[in-house]
Amino acid sequence: MAAAEHMSAHVRWLRIAIVAFVLIGWEALAMSGLLFRDVVPSLSAIVRALARALASGEFYGNLAVTLGEVGAALAIGGAAGLAAGIALGANRFLSWAYEPFLYYLGPTPKIIFFPVMIMWFGVASGSKIAMGTLSCFFPIVISAAAAMREIDPVLIRVGRSFRASPWQMATRIYLPAMRAPIVNGVRLGLGVAIIGTLLAETKLSNRGMGYLVIQAYATFDMPRMYALLIVLFVLSIGANALIGRLGLPHAPVQRS
Amino acid sequence: MTAERALLAVEHITKKFAGRDGELTAVDDVSFDVAPGEFVAIIGPSGCGKSTLFNVIGGLLGGYEGRVSVAGERISGTHPSIGMVFQEESTFPWRTVQDNVAFPLEIAGMAKAERQERAAHFVALVGLTGFERRYPSELSGGMRQRVAIARTLASTPRILLMDEPFASLDEQTRVILGDKVLAIQQSLRQTTLLITHNLTEAVQLADRVLVMTYRPGRLKRVVDIALPHPRTPDVVESDAFGRYVAQIWHDLRDEANRGIEEAEALALRQGRRT
Amino acid sequence: MTTRAVARGVGIATLVLAAFAVEGLLRAGVINRFIVPLPSQVLAALPRIVVEEHVLARFGQTSLEVLWASLLLAAAGIPLGVMLHRYRIVRLACESWVGALAAAPIVLMYPLFLVIFGRSTTTIVMIGFAAGLAPVILKTLEGLAATRVVLQDVGRSFRLSNAQQFWKILLPAALPSVFVGLRLGLIFAMINIVGVEFLINFGGLGQLINELAERYDLPGMYGAILFVVAASILFFDVTERVERWLRPNT
Repeated sequence: MAAAEHMSAHVRWLRIAIVAFVLIGWEALAMSGLLFRDVVPSLSAIVRALARALASGEFYGNLAVTLGEVGAALAIGGAAGLAAGIALGANRFLSWAYEPFLYYLGPTPKIIFFPVMIMWFGVASGSKIAMGTLSCFFPIVISAAAAMREIDPVLIRVGRSFRASPWQMATRIYLPAMRAPIVNGVRLGLGVAIIGTLLAETKLSNRGMGYLVIQAYATFDMPRMYALLIVLFVLSIGANALIGRLGLPHAPVQRS
Repeated sequence: MTAERALLAVEHITKKFAGRDGELTAVDDVSFDVAPGEFVAIIGPSGCGKSTLFNVIGGLLGGYEGRVSVAGERISGTHPSIGMVFQEESTFPWRTVQDNVAFPLEIAGMAKAERQERAAHFVALVGLTGFERRYPSELSGGMRQRVAIARTLASTPRILLMDEPFASLDEQTRVILGDKVLAIQQSLRQTTLLITHNLTEAVQLADRVLVMTYRPGRLKRVVDIALPHPRTPDVVESDAFGRYVAQIWHDLRDEANRGIEEAEALALRQGRRT
Repeated sequence: MTTRAVARGVGIATLVLAAFAVEGLLRAGVINRFIVPLPSQVLAALPRIVVEEHVLARFGQTSLEVLWASLLLAAAGIPLGVMLHRYRIVRLACESWVGALAAAPIVLMYPLFLVIFGRSTTTIVMIGFAAGLAPVILKTLEGLAATRVVLQDVGRSFRLSNAQQFWKILLPAALPSVFVGLRLGLIFAMINIVGVEFLINFGGLGQLINELAERYDLPGMYGAILFVVAASILFFDVTERVERWLRPNT
């Protein structure tokens, strides 16, 4: 016990040391003028820009736009993905017919569809939501289909042997059994929905966090750009961790 | 047998572990000898500390009381005179059969041509001629264990130490493989210490069987197996064989029962805690 | 014919039928021709794009960028994974950080990379590298850590030195996982490379789509998108085969 506590104290110190080293190195680089001055702005400049942003109404307005778009994308893409995934997982014929398409279309760069989305859904939030939806549909449908298939068949037989109704089967057997892989799929889906929506905002938009980032780039306001990126990363990683917590199931029984 | 005549001398080995509920004594004051060329089997119920003993003698486990000596000299840690064959799948999946068997020779720095030749010899010894270029994934479980045994034999250990090497095999394969291993042991006069939980296997293969108690593991009884070699089907089907098996089961049964009762009690305690 | 083959056929047939349906609806004026081109026109545009837009050269350029990124990934990612495994305290401190990095939207930093590296191939390669790094490190670490204990025991029973233990047991045992990680990293890199090419209008295939979109060449743009999708499917499939070929015996 004592050894473990000793170790975790060391780990904490090491982390602090690493962070301190990075910050000091950054500030040194900023001061030295080795790189073009504003590419590495001083930490104080970044902190000031961060404070300014967090205090401005404009920031929160744009943040709300992005959050709304990502939320809508996840809701639509998630619902469609779950429905399609469950259908594919339940029916082997459908799976053989259509799942290969999804499997191979998954790892393609979705942002290239953005011009099409603009034409179909306009230059406002519609095309951004469409971009996010398209991005998150794939990981969710694939993980939902896999989750359906991975349900231990023994559990289904147990349900049938007790003559459970379809609704009971769905809510008391299928859904609990699928929770972990689906939550994982949603976590991935959230990640790519954020990316898809934000990239679309950087390409063509006059609202949203992506728009703010491109604006900072266009006006060469580097401290502001760093500040905005920091906010985006913290929010993304935080949301990812939060959903991860949701997915912690009881340990499944090990089948030897 | 005096300590000087023994090749392997295990004296007063005691090994304790720090467990969830306090200190656990896995092995308690176990002493025995193995003479040169002798085949000794250690048998006991699950939880009797046999694997602990295996790891202690093999040198993979330290922090014990007592001593382990080879030819009178005390050893500590892994030693070239002791070769180990493990219970689990231990062949290297990325090496062919030949390269698996040649592994210890490669480590010892033997030249390529020479070690390939020696490896081929041991591959033939375990009856796997023709499979030299195959990968373990292409072989059955029994064949893979033969590769592991050949690999250990290739390092020409003075003492062969095996931990339930046939545990994962089905009964028929186990019997046949046991025969093969016994034949090799007899022809090489290989000093062998076999850990097992299988009664018939112990009586079939060994010259002497050491029966262990349930935790803490102590030596309960030593049984001399006075059956002729080779242990043909006649010998195995004989009354004498059956009597030995019955005798050992008589000693084991109570220990095995204690093991089951304790496992149930443990599960109950752990369940209450969570 | 097996049911599986029938199913495959049904899948493809559905796609073809959908294309015909779209064609019909467009010709009937039900769907607006200004936002969806005729599928027949898109198909007709394909050969034109190949020749006029130098698709092959663009494909080569994108491939080169992916190649550079993959070299960087292997040269940096694998050693970093090995180091994390070797020094337990560093692993305990940093593993969750690398995990967080894997989930982070790295590609959003492209404006930053633009400032640092300019509008150049370097920017594109660096984004591909940054996006693919985390999985390479994590899978290398995972492979090394997951080496079955019995295999390490075999090494110890033969009294291998630490270096021998690493090169002859840990690394070969970890190789399958390392390849999986490299492939994942490569795919992430490819996706982000093409994406950024589109976004900054520079480079190979991604830039082609952007250009055709700005020219309002609808059939051309749809055709180019088809090309890119086909190329990435090919990339995904080929890397899958290579990975499987490299690790047949585990």
